[in-house]
Order: sequence, then structure tokens, then C-alpha cells
Amino acid sequence: MKIRKFVVTFFGVTQEVIGALAIVFAYVLYYNILDIRINLEIPLEHVSVYLLLLFVFGFISILSGFFLIRERLELEGEGGL
Amino acid sequence: MNKSKTPRELGLFQAVMIGLGGAVGIEIFVLLNYATYLAGPRIVLVLFVCGIINLLTMLSFCELGAAIPEVGGEYSYAKAAFGGFLAFLTGWFRWISNVFGAALAALGFAYHFLYFVPTNIIPVDESLLVALVAVAIIAVLTVLSIRGTMQMGAIIVIAFIAVFLVFIAAGILHGLELKLSYPTTLGESSNFVAAVTYTFLMFLGMRAIAAGGAVVKKPGKNIPRAIILSAVLLMVLYCGIAYVTISVVSLEEIAAPTALPLSIAAKEILGEAGAIILTIAGIVAALSSLSTAIMVQSSITRGLSRDGYLPKFLLSTHRRFKTPHIVIIFGSIFYILFAATGVVEFVGSVAAFASLLGFALVNLSLMKLRVKKPYLPRPFKVPLYPYTPIAGILVSLILLIFIEPRAFSLGIGLIALGLLAYYVKMVGYHRIRIAFGGVSLGIGGFTTFLAYRVGTGFTVPLALSPQLTTILFYFLIFVSIISILAGIFNIVSKG
Repeated sequence: MKIRKFVVTFFGVTQEVIGALAIVFAYVLYYNILDIRINLEIPLEHVSVYLLLLFVFGFISILSGFFLIRERLELEGEGGL
Repeated sequence: MNKSKTPRELGLFQAVMIGLGGAVGIEIFVLLNYATYLAGPRIVLVLFVCGIINLLTMLSFCELGAAIPEVGGEYSYAKAAFGGFLAFLTGWFRWISNVFGAALAALGFAYHFLYFVPTNIIPVDESLLVALVAVAIIAVLTVLSIRGTMQMGAIIVIAFIAVFLVFIAAGILHGLELKLSYPTTLGESSNFVAAVTYTFLMFLGMRAIAAGGAVVKKPGKNIPRAIILSAVLLMVLYCGIAYVTISVVSLEEIAAPTALPLSIAAKEILGEAGAIILTIAGIVAALSSLSTAIMVQSSITRGLSRDGYLPKFLLSTHRRFKTPHIVIIFGSIFYILFAATGVVEFVGSVAAFASLLGFALVNLSLMKLRVKKPYLPRPFKVPLYPYTPIAGILVSLILLIFIEPRAFSLGIGLIALGLLAYYVKMVGYHRIRIAFGGVSLGIGGFTTFLAYRVGTGFTVPLALSPQLTTILFYFLIFVSIISILAGIFNIVSKG
């Protein structure tokens, strides 16, 4: 049970972080912070596609991670705090 | 973890204090300027009309709160009347309204706090940081002991009602000159209803009495009395405050976006000391509103959780302090997120949007229950039934039209989010989880394919140096492993 708790927490939190990073990167790209669009040579007309992909990926990662974290909290509830 | 029933321990006085603590809060301090911008010198009339309109639905709250004295307020009423989707929707609107109300209190705290801090120490732009700290402190205090903070709240409410009365009395003694013919472009007729909609929020806190019905002694007698007493006291106080304020200060000065109208008026009437007292009152009011909002939010969230719309772990109470710590932290995250918008008009308007929809549903619940459960014991009955609840529904829907457009759009978006949550509940959590596990697995597969493309030297549509390409390759490998394994764990879960 302890191993399962650790594993679901690790993968859940990591997925949350990856999802959040994807959304932060979308934000950086949209506002062209640190001239990221110029440095990566991303044409302006492609930005919306990148944003869509990053948001969808980020959203799914965060939700998938949430399900795993919730499982951990429920396992904790069953075992007692 | 303990899942215990909350004891009934509050009498009429404390119930009135809950209502006043929620309503005589930060709203009068921060909403008056934009409302004056909309209504001009007719702001007093706006507040009076607003109070009357509120009373229509508060009467429904009286009947329902006395007949169904349960945790959850309007959510419990809609559940008893309709169950299912409409009950969930009512709880959802209440939750949105409460969370935005708390965000408004946090912002109000920040603006008043910064009155005392020279801008070269904490720039006004950093008011969000102050709002965040306020939310964190009140959340921690509430987790430590709800009972302690409620007692503290009652003392605070009495203190600043006294401050308001002194403010009104001093204003009258100062000599009032109501400038109804003040030369201003403010308050064109089309904005009158918009001002009523906006100031509607000032009276909403009274609902806290109904939402906290489960902890009120003799609810059949105390809840109706507490709501009516709170409503009348609020109308008198607010109209008096607005009258004094617009009589001693120019409308343009009050209506400025970052103005603290009561502090400006107090400075005019009582000098610098008056401004300081009213600003401190604003700070205390914000903290009191925040504290009440946290209590009510936890009540609504637990109600939704109890019925399976939100995860069950939200029902847990802290082993030592007996407070719903997880719900308090959960709500506080949203307060901070919405306070981060930094715009009082916007945050206030979203709260009003959700409240108006909630009010319409409360009146609808009352009418449905009269038909569905005619023999339900009703210690208090709404007078002039069915005209009173019908008027409550119509007025709520009409006022919705005048909500600020951006707030209206966000409100619609949040309703869509609520529908998604309801869909998850209907379809079943386990199936949704398997579906997301499958999508995560798919993303893992796609990321592996991308990593393969990058690793084998295919052209990437990005200008990356060789070092960055290597980093991207390893990052994609990492993401694919995590996504695939997380997907598998979600799919093979026991639900």
C-alpha cells in the first residue's frame, strides 16, 4: 500500500507540474516574454496552433495528475492520518 | 479523520451577527465608488431599492431556512425541492458567488491596508501580495478554530456598526447639503439599474444566516427574525452612509476608480483621525467578510461533497481542531486566483451574477416545495405568496441583463464548468478517470513519436541549438514515460 501511495503521488505530482509548465510556456509564448518567438523562430501565424496544443496538453496532464493525487488522498483516508 | 455533525450553538444574536458580518462587510467600502459613478446622486435611492429587492428573496430564505435548517443553505432548499441538476446548479452558483465575494474582501483589505503604507515601500501594484497574505492568515485562523473566529467576528461587527453610526451622526452634525443638482455627467438614467445590480452584493451576506442554519438554535424562530432584523438594519445603515458621503464629498472624487469613499468623507467630517478610523474599519470589515466567506464556502463545498458532486475527502475535519481544513485550503486557492485579477468592479460583478441566478432558484425552490411538500412544518411563511417569490425571480432575471459584459461572459464560462462537473458525476467518476487515463496514454505515445523524430534528426519546426535539441529529446522521453505510466495507473485504478 505504501509503495502504491508513493507511486501514485509521484506520477500525479509530476504530471501536474508538467501540465502547469505547458500552460506557463503557452503564456510566455503568447506574450513573447524574453523574445521567445524570435529566438525559436516561431512565425506569428503558428502561435495559435502552439497555444492550442500546449493548453490541451496542459489541461489533460493536470486532470490526469489530479485523479492520481485524489487516489492518494483516498488511500490516506482509508488508512487514517 | 473525523466526520462529525456540527452542534447547534448559536442564538438569535449570533445569527444576526453572522448576517451582518457577511453583509456589513467590505462591500460598502469598495463598491460605493463605482456605484456612484453609475448612479450619480441617486446612489441613496439605488441602495434603498436594492434593499427592498433583496428583502423579497430574503423572505423566501426565512421560510426555507426555518423549514429546512440544514448545512448548505440554498443548496439544501433546491435539493429538497428539485434534487438533481437544479440543486447542484444552486450550490454551484452559491459557491461561485462566495468565492468571488471572498476575493473582493481580499482586494478591499489590500486597498485599505495600503492607505497606511507609503507607496515607495509597497507599490500599489503589489496590493495583490497583501490580498494573498490576508487570505492566508484568515484561512489559518479559521483552521485553528472556527468557534474562536466567529466570536471574534461578532465583536468586530458590533465595533464597526458603532463606527458607522458615529460617522452618520458626525455627518449630520457637520451639516449636510445634498447636492441633487450637482453639475455632473455621472449617473445617467440607463445606469440606474446597473447600479442596483452592482450594489446588490452589499446585502447578499445575510444569506450566511440561512447557510449556517445547521448551527443556529431554535431555527424556526431565530432564522426568520435574524434575516429580517439584518435586512432592516442594513438598509438604514447603508442609506445613511451613502447620504452622508455624497453630501460632504464631490461625486467625482468618490467615483474615482481607486478611491476609498468612506475614508474621504470621514476626512472631510472628522479630519485625518476620522479617515484613519474609517480605513481601519475597512480593513477589519474586509477581514470579517473573508472570515464569514470561508465559513460559508466550507458549508457549501461540504454539502456538494456530501452528495457526491465533489470528492468525499473534502468532508474531512482536522483531527485536533475539528475544522474542515481541506475545504478551507481548497477555497482559499480560488480566492487568491480570483483576487489576482485585481479589478474590484469585475470581481464584484461576477459575484452578483452568480448570486442573482442563485436567488432566482431559491424563489423557485420555495414555490416548488409549497406544491411538493404542503405539510412540511413552516414556522414562517412568506407573505403575499405567490407574488413575493415571483417578483423575486423576475427582478433577479431582469437585473442579470445589466451585469458588466466581461463578468457575464466569465459567469457563463463558470456555469459551463459546473455542467462539466455534473456530467462527471452522472457518467461516473471511474469511467471519466479511465477516459483520461486513455488520453494520457495517447499523449505518451505521441510524445514518444516526437522524441523519436527529434532523436533521429528529423527537422523540428523550431530554431534549436544542438544542446537544446538534446535537452528537448530527454525532456520528451521523460514526459512520455510519465504520461504512459500515469495513464496506466488511471486505467487500472479500482475507482
